[in-house]
Amino acid sequence: MGDDTETGATRTDGGVAADTDRTGTQGRDWNLVTRASTAGYRLAYLSVFVFLLAPVVVVAATSLSDANTVAFPPSGLSLRWYGALLASGPWIEATRNSLLIATGTALLSTTLGVAGALGTRKLDGKLADFVTGIAVVPLLVPGVVLGVTLLIFFSEFGLQQEPATIVLAHSLWATPLTYSVMRATFSRYDWHVRDAALDLGASRLRAFREVVAPNVAAGLAAATLIAFVVSLQEFVMTLFLSGRGSRTVPVKAWNSLRNSLDPLVSVTSTLLVVVVLLVLLAAGVAVGLDRVARDAG
Amino acid sequence: MSTRTGRLRQAVASRTGTGLLLPLLLFDLLVFVVPFGYLLRISLSERSTGAYVEGTWSVEGYTYLLEPSNTISETFLFTLGFGVVVTVVSVTIATLYAHAMWRADGPLRIVLTAGALVSMFTAIVVKLFAALLVYSPDGVLNGLLVSLGLVSEPLRLVNNGVGAVIGQLYIVVPYSILAVYAVLSTVDESLLEAARDLGASSPRAFLEVAVPHAVPGMLVAGVISFTWSIGSYAAPLLLGSGSERTNGVLVSDLLLREFDWPAAAALAVVVTATVLGGLVVVRLVLSRREVTASG
Repeated sequence: MGDDTETGATRTDGGVAADTDRTGTQGRDWNLVTRASTAGYRLAYLSVFVFLLAPVVVVAATSLSDANTVAFPPSGLSLRWYGALLASGPWIEATRNSLLIATGTALLSTTLGVAGALGTRKLDGKLADFVTGIAVVPLLVPGVVLGVTLLIFFSEFGLQQEPATIVLAHSLWATPLTYSVMRATFSRYDWHVRDAALDLGASRLRAFREVVAPNVAAGLAAATLIAFVVSLQEFVMTLFLSGRGSRTVPVKAWNSLRNSLDPLVSVTSTLLVVVVLLVLLAAGVAVGLDRVARDAG
Repeated sequence: MSTRTGRLRQAVASRTGTGLLLPLLLFDLLVFVVPFGYLLRISLSERSTGAYVEGTWSVEGYTYLLEPSNTISETFLFTLGFGVVVTVVSVTIATLYAHAMWRADGPLRIVLTAGALVSMFTAIVVKLFAALLVYSPDGVLNGLLVSLGLVSEPLRLVNNGVGAVIGQLYIVVPYSILAVYAVLSTVDESLLEAARDLGASSPRAFLEVAVPHAVPGMLVAGVISFTWSIGSYAAPLLLGSGSERTNGVLVSDLLLREFDWPAAAALAVVVTATVLGGLVVVRLVLSRREVTASG
């Protein structure tokens, strides 16, 4: 990617303006090399940008196709596959399952995350690190290992295909995130305000509800939305833990994909992306895009 | 005994609110620790043709992993190699991209940030499906390359190792980018400006100023990429071929196809141990770095 000398030389970049002060042939060569490498650098990160986003664009385009097969570019535009999705019982059921499980995961893991983050606040350094370690470890275990482990464990009680089991599994991944987001949020909050409320006679619960919660609402919203999104997208654990009645949209999509390229998968994929983008936008408005990027990383 | 409980109660009371940790710890115990204990127990049971023999103790599950007659150890080595390749590529492009994000300002920064976030928040199954549409022999990329005359016949980018790596990159790169960006965003930007004022080109400023500062983020990106790759399941299954079997695929096959629960459990235990062991090593390296830096 760095060998694109010809096009590179014609581009300009403010960052190398200092080099133009140099004179003589040597300076000009140096200038050329600098500009070429700057252009190569630019080409490289723009390629990564295209690499990341091209597939999403292609899927969205194929979902609007009027053909019977998945093809890009689509020969003609139509919404017929969106109509077909609305008429498809299994997909509607999968959507219902996905929303149900994602809502359950968001509620459970946000509750656990908020309580856990509040509980960790008073611990001293070493103990806090230890608790954080425990809270975060499940996120680092491969999904297929978790899926297999939970399948073996819950099938012992005949619970392996219950939506509630999938909520527990998803919360295993969502809770470390809600916990981290809430810890970051609480560390930025000025606890003297709450202490003042307590001094004025408010109960702990009331002080949290009326004084703390409104001020950490953005972080709370972000944590909930992140948990919702994690659940909505997860499919490896769900693949092992779902049955006929509890398949989610990603699992249904995966099962269809294993057979053939189905236009309905394009449609549900596009809808999944759109829903997630809307949620992300809401989270971004709540706490700022830059912070979402930093907290998530 | 009673003084000890008394002291304990006092300690708890002095940390009001610590009880709020209980739900989280209970949850991790019941849904994570206990199921894993159960898995460990099954990995130590005798193998049989139907699942496992209850109540027996044996290391057959583990010795089976090492038997030369099956290809499990090959799969394990393949998975490690796969993890290394994915990690190197992922950290390289993530560092480059995160640096570009950090350096850019105004609309470009927003666009680049949004690009990473959109990809990160796109469901894995959607990304893999999409990758299939883009990289398959009659896919978008090959269509473009052939019509431009850059290649005479379509490149083979799916149904092989390349496909498995491409698929896995879609899963790990966005997280790697944000891990590096999180570190870079705490670095004083005037450093880079100073480097540029002194005449360093963007690539040189990148390699000599930004990269050294980004190292902790790159390590996190490396850990994410490697641990997720050696546990990878979906990408090699959909974009690889039959010969790109990873540990994840194998665990699933052993459990659901061969009903060899002790062997499946043993392999799952080994994979998890490898992942957590790797993490411990990285933590040790990091803390040693801190010690040398401060001492």
